[in-house]
Amino acid sequence: MVRYALRRIVSSLLVLFFVTLITFIVISVLPGDRAVLALGIDADAETVEALRESMGLDRPFLERYLGWLMSALKMDLGRSEVYGEKVSSLIASHLPVTFSLTIFSILIASILSLVLGLISERRKGRALDGIIRSTCILISALPSFWVSLLALVFFCGKLRWFPVNGYISPSRGFFSFLRSIALPSIILALGELSLLTRMFRSSLIRSFSEDYMTQCEVKGLRRSRAIIHYALRSAIIAPITLIGNQAAKLFGGTVVVETIFSLPGIGRLLLTAVEQHDTTLLQGIVLFITTMVVLMNLLTDIFVALSDPTIRKGRSE
Amino acid sequence: MKKRNFSLYIGIILVSIILFLFLLSFVALPYEVDAMDTGNRFAEASRDHILGTDQFGRDIYSRILVSTRSALAVGVTSVFFGALVGLFIGAVAALSPKAVEVVVMRGVDAMMAFPGILSAMVLSAILGKGVMNASIAISFFMVPVFARLSYSMILENGKKGYVKAARSYGVSLPRLLVFHMLPDMLTRLVTQFSSSVGAAILTESSLSFLGLGIQPPGASLGLMLSEAKAYVLIEPYQALWPGVVLSVAVLGFSLLGDGINAVLSKENSRE
Repeated sequence: MVRYALRRIVSSLLVLFFVTLITFIVISVLPGDRAVLALGIDADAETVEALRESMGLDRPFLERYLGWLMSALKMDLGRSEVYGEKVSSLIASHLPVTFSLTIFSILIASILSLVLGLISERRKGRALDGIIRSTCILISALPSFWVSLLALVFFCGKLRWFPVNGYISPSRGFFSFLRSIALPSIILALGELSLLTRMFRSSLIRSFSEDYMTQCEVKGLRRSRAIIHYALRSAIIAPITLIGNQAAKLFGGTVVVETIFSLPGIGRLLLTAVEQHDTTLLQGIVLFITTMVVLMNLLTDIFVALSDPTIRKGRSE
Repeated sequence: MKKRNFSLYIGIILVSIILFLFLLSFVALPYEVDAMDTGNRFAEASRDHILGTDQFGRDIYSRILVSTRSALAVGVTSVFFGALVGLFIGAVAALSPKAVEVVVMRGVDAMMAFPGILSAMVLSAILGKGVMNASIAISFFMVPVFARLSYSMILENGKKGYVKAARSYGVSLPRLLVFHMLPDMLTRLVTQFSSSVGAAILTESSLSFLGLGIQPPGASLGLMLSEAKAYVLIEPYQALWPGVVLSVAVLGFSLLGDGINAVLSKENSRE
């Protein structure tokens, strides 16, 4: 187990190194002189040159990359050219929104797809199974920004269940916060439904056909107890990997929903950085998101290894 | 086998609808995309405008027809080029010595860590906006998907009898890859290709929705929805049809992929 974890950590570090390299190369080729961008077109040549020097733009590529990497390791991502604030504090102030969106939507998706997967498995091959599966496929294929618009019209406009615009931070009342974030979370969750339900269904089918389930029946265990204590315990492991990976993906993909619901999250910050050509901010956000994705995937794998006795005891290979 | 392959049938029907709209955009376009009828803004469906008009009085039906062009163009070209590069990288990794293999595949993992919309947004910041650049940006995130696929398939198939046989009579490596292994891989590639086109169309429309893809006055489903967004609480009708067509396209290609996959895996199991 320790060896497995170590191997995963080393390979994640290698991936992270490539991530920083790709990020830096890709963003370094952004057109436009960053010094001119920061000072405005009217700035005279000397001032621009001085800023170029202080930003280190005159140094060779490798030196710039290493310098950036070193300060990134110290959590220093530089100063945003548009906002004039530290990138790390900008990210920190936008993080809670995206983070809660991700957590809520993956929670909703997991619970819903576990229930649907269980019903689907119990009615395997019958009409209800087909209905659940095709509905999930249909719902997950709908583009989230279109569903958001429809939901905005219906739930916010017509029914007035949720506020149309804006995010309310938890400090201004937890219930209002939940209300402001509920609809976008549900919409993001719907997109994950098909994949997760399919996974839960197939892994439940597998675990219900195991010998220990027959054993449960033979010794006269109650059905509910057999399902909760035996079937679910082994059926939940495979979906956990998928849930972890999807959560990581969601984390980087909230921008569209954030834009529609005017939520001040990382996605919106990224959009601003792209629109304003704020290179430092862009670099910082991209590095942050990709690092989070790699870390979340790593933690998922280690968590799965811990919860799966066959991997934990090293018998899987 | 009694069980019918619904995914395949429905997928074919939905994709045909999109292809039909695409063809109609060339032969029977009622209005030009940017023809404005300012006296007739937010018109409801009528004989003149079968799906009504938008905030500038442009015909929504015509704009949807033209949008299918950019959706298909970006969807197919980006997946095609992404697949080409990805296949090459995967093949190189699978056939190289261990050290190269590890480095290349961790690089692919690193590319995988960039969520689709993120890399598309960043690349559109670098390349600028527009159809062409949207295609390049989307093909970038198709690369790791196909790289992993070809990598795992080559490693898997390398153990099969026909590869050993071909090797035994001294077939050159390029010939082995193209004439012996590629036909065997084609089926899974087609499946992945179809599903990826759906994803690419969705990403194109998301980019356009965010204002980074196709630019006004051009027509894209994402752009139409983005324009509809400003008026959605007053004129919700405008947001309906572009979304329906987009959903049909995304669902169609992904079902088609599933359907082909089901057919092929059935055939494989029969062998």
